[in-house]
Amino acid sequence: MLKVKDLKRYFKSGDVVVKAVDGVSFEIPDGKFISIIGQSGSGKTSLLSLLGALDKPTDGAIEVDGSDITKLNANSLNSYRANTIGFVFQSYNLVPNLTAIENVMLPMEFIKVAKTERLARARELLAEVGLSDDQMDRKPGKLSGGQQQRVAIARALANKPKYILADEPTGNLDSDTGRKIFNLLHDLTKKEKTTIIAVTHDLSIAGKTDQSFRLKDGKLVNSSVAKKKK
Amino acid sequence: MNWFSRGVRNAFRNATRTTALVVIIGLSIGLALSMLIANQAVSQKINSVKSSVDNTVSIFPAGLRGFAGGGTPLTQSQLKAVSSEPHVTKLDETLSDRLTSSDTNLSSAISAGSLGRRFAGNGFAGGNGGFAPNFNFTPPVTVNGTTDPTNLGSSSATTGGGSFSLKSGSVINGLSDADVAMVGSALAAKNNLKVGSTFTAYNTTFTVSGIFSTGTKFGDNQVIMPLATVQRLSGQVGDVTAATAYVDSIINLSSVTSKIKQILGSSADVTNSEQQAQTAVSSLQSIQTVSLYSLVGAVIAGAVIVLMSMVMIVRERRREIGIIKAMGSSNLRLFGQFMAESVTLTLIAAVLGIIIGTITSNPITQMLVSNSSTGTSVKAAGPGGGFGFARHFGGLAALRGDVSTIHAAVGYGIIGYGLLAAVVIAIIGTLAATYFIAQVRPAEVMRVE
Repeated sequence: MLKVKDLKRYFKSGDVVVKAVDGVSFEIPDGKFISIIGQSGSGKTSLLSLLGALDKPTDGAIEVDGSDITKLNANSLNSYRANTIGFVFQSYNLVPNLTAIENVMLPMEFIKVAKTERLARARELLAEVGLSDDQMDRKPGKLSGGQQQRVAIARALANKPKYILADEPTGNLDSDTGRKIFNLLHDLTKKEKTTIIAVTHDLSIAGKTDQSFRLKDGKLVNSSVAKKKK
Repeated sequence: MNWFSRGVRNAFRNATRTTALVVIIGLSIGLALSMLIANQAVSQKINSVKSSVDNTVSIFPAGLRGFAGGGTPLTQSQLKAVSSEPHVTKLDETLSDRLTSSDTNLSSAISAGSLGRRFAGNGFAGGNGGFAPNFNFTPPVTVNGTTDPTNLGSSSATTGGGSFSLKSGSVINGLSDADVAMVGSALAAKNNLKVGSTFTAYNTTFTVSGIFSTGTKFGDNQVIMPLATVQRLSGQVGDVTAATAYVDSIINLSSVTSKIKQILGSSADVTNSEQQAQTAVSSLQSIQTVSLYSLVGAVIAGAVIVLMSMVMIVRERRREIGIIKAMGSSNLRLFGQFMAESVTLTLIAAVLGIIIGTITSNPITQMLVSNSSTGTSVKAAGPGGGFGFARHFGGLAALRGDVSTIHAAVGYGIIGYGLLAAVVIAIIGTLAATYFIAQVRPAEVMRVE
C-alpha cells in the first residue's frame, strides 16, 4: 500500500514561491494501474519525482508499506530506488553508449545480481517486450522510438520492483505505437504483479487504468475509479 | 559490465576527444618525465662531484696569481699558526721561483711563441714595458720547492693541472736541504738529463734524483726541489708562495677554512675544495631547481587538463548521471566509474608520455646543462695559471669539464614514475569532478529536453 499524506513541494523562483505539489493526499492499493492526469505545469512530474524518491518534499509523508521514505537517508534512498521503483520516461533515457541488453542489466548491478543472472534476466525481458537478438546488441541510437521505449520498460522491470513510475510513457510515440506500448506495460505489470503509476495527458490511456487522479495547480482536484474497459 | 568496465569504455566514447586528451596529457607527462630524468641525472652528477671533493684548504698570498699580480709571501710563523690548528693534520708548503739563463744551464722545453713574447713585452715577466712584444724573450724554467713532492697531485701546486707520476728514479725528500731535484720529462728530454745527471742552478750543482711527468707541457717543464733548498739558494728563507692544509674530516673543512682565514686575515687568499666544487656545481643546482619546478608544473598542468576535461564530461553527462542515480546507484559507484575513465585516459597518455620522455630527456638535459655551462663559464672562471707558474686550480677546471658530461638514462623506475604520475594526475583531476557528480540530482532525469 502506498499512502501519500499532505505532500508538498515548493520551489523558489526569484521572489515567487512555486507550489508544484500543494498538499496532495491519496492511497494506492498494491497491484493497481493508476494514472495521474492534468495540464502541463499542474505538478504531475513533480509528484512522480517525489514518489520515486528522486526529489525531497518540502513537507508531508510518503508511506510505502508503512515506512516513510521522506525520512530515509541517502543510502536507504538508493536502496529504495534500486529495489522498489522502476522508471519509464517519456524520452526513454537509455544510456547511449550501452547496448539494449546492457541498459537492462544496469539496474540489476545496483542490487548485486550476478553477471550471468543479469544477462539471462535481461535477455528474457527484452524477448518479452519483443526485441530480437540482433536488436538486443544495438545501442539506443540504432533503435526506433518504440523499440527504445520497449527497452526502457524491460529495464524498469529488471529488478522486479513493487512500483513502476511512468512519466508520459507514450508521449514521444505515434498513436499506434503508443497504444502497443501501453498494452505491453499493462500486460507486463499484471504479469509481474507490479503497481504502475503513470503520468499522462492522454485521456484515452487514463480511461483504461484502474484509477485516475487529476492534478491542477499542484492540488488533487479529482480522483476517479475507472470502469475497467481496457 | 560493471562500473569499472563502463568507465574504461567511456574513455573511448568520443574518439576525437580521447585523441586530443591523450596527446595533451601525454605531452604533459612526457615533459614531467623529461624534467624528472634531468633532475635525477643532475642530482647524481652533483653527488658525484661532491663525493670527489677532498678535505684540503688552499692558501696563497693575497693578490698573487702565478707570477702575475703582487703581494707578500706567506711566512713560516703564519703557517706555523695554521699547522697548529686543531683538525689540521698536515701542511704542505711550496715556494715557486723561475730560473732564467743567467741562473741555470738548463734550456726551457717551451718555446716563447707569440703569447710568451706578448706577455713578456707587457711587463708581466720583466720585459721592456708597454705592449710591444719582446722578441728576445725565452721562457724561464719554473722551480717549485716543496715539503711533499710525493703528494703533488692533491695540491696541484706543481703539476700544472695534470697528475703527477714518477717516470724514473726516486722521489726527493721535501723536508731535506739537499741539492737534489726531480726534473719534468720535457725539460729532461730537452737537456738530455737522466737519473744521476747533474745540472746547475743558483750557481749550485744539482743531481737529478727522478724524472716525472704531469701530462702537461707546462708541468713537465719544471724542476722540483726540497723547499728549504729553494728558500736558501733563492734568498727567500722562510717564504712560501702556496700551502695546502689537510683537514682530518670533511665535516671540519668549513670551520677550519674559516679559522685559517681568521688567522691569516687579508694577507692570504684561502679557499677549500668544497667551495671550488660548490662553484662548479652551482650551475647544475640551478638546473636541478628549474627541472624540479618544471616537473611540478607539468604534473599540475596535466592534472588541470584532466580536471577541466572531467568537469566538462560530467556536465555533458548530467542526464546520464541522473538516470544511473535514479536506478539506485550510489555517488561512490559513479565516482569510481569516472575515476576509471580518467585513469584509463591518463594511462594511455602515460605510455605516450614515456615515449616522449625517453626521446626528449637526453637532449633536454644536455641543452639545459650546455646553456647553463655557457652562462657560468664567464662567471665561474677562477684564477688560471700565471705566466711560468703552476696552475693551482687545475683540479677545479677538471671538475667544471666533468659537470657538463651528463647522460640522462631512462630506467624502469622512470617508467614507474610515469605511470604513477598518470594515476596521481587522474585522481587529482577527477576529485573536483566528483563534487559536480554529487551535485547532480536524480530528478534531473525527469527534465524533458
